Amino acid sequence: MRAVLAQFAPGLGSVSANLDRHLETIDRARREKADLVVFPELSLTGYRLRDLVEEVALDPAASRPFRKLRSASREIDLVVGFVEEKPRERGLFYNAAAYLHRGRVLHLHRKVFLPTAGMFEERRFFSEGRNIRAFDGPHGRTGLLICRDFLHLNAHYLLFADGAEISIAISAAPGRGVSPPARGFASSRMWELMGETVSRLTTTFVLYVNRVGFEDGAAFAGGSFVFDPFGRPVARAGPFEPEFLIADLDLGLIRKARKAWPFRRDDKPEVTLAALERIVRGYED
Amino acid sequence: MKIDAPFVERILAGFIKDKLAKAGFRKGILGLSGGLDSAVCAHLAVKALGPGNVIALLMPYGRSFGDEIEDALDVARRLRLRAETIDIAPIIDAYFERYPTGDRVRRGNKMARERMSILYDVSAREKALILGTSNKTELLLGYGTIHGDMACAINPLGDLYKTQVRELAAHLGVPEGIRTKPPTAGLWPGQTDEAELGLTYEEADEILFRLVEERASAAEVAAAGYPKARVEKIAAMIRASEFKRHLPPIAKISPRTVGHDFLYPYDRSE
Repeated sequence: MRAVLAQFAPGLGSVSANLDRHLETIDRARREKADLVVFPELSLTGYRLRDLVEEVALDPAASRPFRKLRSASREIDLVVGFVEEKPRERGLFYNAAAYLHRGRVLHLHRKVFLPTAGMFEERRFFSEGRNIRAFDGPHGRTGLLICRDFLHLNAHYLLFADGAEISIAISAAPGRGVSPPARGFASSRMWELMGETVSRLTTTFVLYVNRVGFEDGAAFAGGSFVFDPFGRPVARAGPFEPEFLIADLDLGLIRKARKAWPFRRDDKPEVTLAALERIVRGYED
Repeated sequence: MKIDAPFVERILAGFIKDKLAKAGFRKGILGLSGGLDSAVCAHLAVKALGPGNVIALLMPYGRSFGDEIEDALDVARRLRLRAETIDIAPIIDAYFERYPTGDRVRRGNKMARERMSILYDVSAREKALILGTSNKTELLLGYGTIHGDMACAINPLGDLYKTQVRELAAHLGVPEGIRTKPPTAGLWPGQTDEAELGLTYEEADEILFRLVEERASAAEVAAAGYPKARVEKIAAMIRASEFKRHLPPIAKISPRTVGHDFLYPYDRSE
């Protein structure tokens, strides 16, 4: 399976300009015979929207950009990031990711963990997603995560327990720390470390696509990557600059890794569930 | 505190280029004093925009800072950027002859604001965006004139401590004379920052780094071996200068108020 990781810099607040960039990248990916293109978090809108959230929100079932994207997905799978507002839930906005396949939205993930501390203020402007689940994708059971979701161990565990073989995370992570010996931004190491660890311990492919460019002074770090189910790097983009990264995934490795490292076979979700119930019941104010 | 200088250069030059493009400007302008910060900013601007798109404005007070102006002209020549000199002495003298003061801080601040006023006027004439040169040490200590040298459209240096600016300067090839001479705000002849602050920048930066980056308390920093009085002085300077790091608070009376709950990004495209 050939995936393209579209590490680029979405414009802030301009859906139509961003849609054009998506369609250009999709064309290029088709020429490269890719099966899937993954765009970063909020790829259709830009990240630091604040009060623009309501102006750029889209209904994936009806809006013009999604008509175009659904049509483009007839020949190639897409993962895009956008602000979702459903007609039945007007005024609620989600930081969302959609997996498009053969002209329809196969799966939609709403970001569960909205960072709201330090330089982040997502919960001020977005509603929280309430579900993390895997779905049957064209290349195997697949899960979607958005940026901060990726740093929560339980998000990975839930996808693993739900049978995911391919985990796709889209991100708008700013770069922080420029001290040696880090290559690029020091904060990129955290994402790579998580990707390597999770891919190996859940025996899944992990695709992480981070954006680049500046918004209000913050530089997004790039550094997109793919790890295979043995925790080995398949492809890695550089920091800070746009990149059209092609990664060829040997899906046969999932079976081999699960034979060699039977973490999935030996998992005990009922133990996790029972322990979590006990922990949650024991909460005190 | 060490930085990966080539990477920092890429990011900061990228920042300048990106910001100008988004704001619809081709040219950048900065006040070139002959000191370290503006020399580094000029180098970054040239990397980002090319020498033909960078204007350096030299604004001496008469001849009282002779060496500074020579160093500034030297930077402009080496970088092949356009330099223009405007002597602020007649303007400053006209004001203080009529409204005299012996307070040299007031005189210094007036000069800093006069330079700002000229910089904004020339930037309008040139359709150029103003690049700021305040470093992180100055911003945290409040060691700058509000609406004076702190005024700018964008600030590429604001997240680098003074000692990190020196490190970047060495990488960028800023002449050694500029890198090693005592920093001065140019408030009066012979003034140096370190004498006025009562601290060296190395000391100040190490203490600031612990207080800010590592989120240590003043007591923890003192316990790590720094003189307690200095740590407390720095902590007090940070607290006292908070107003210099904000837009003025607006008294909120309506349901939706600029800065409180009317919140749009600076960088909106279209």
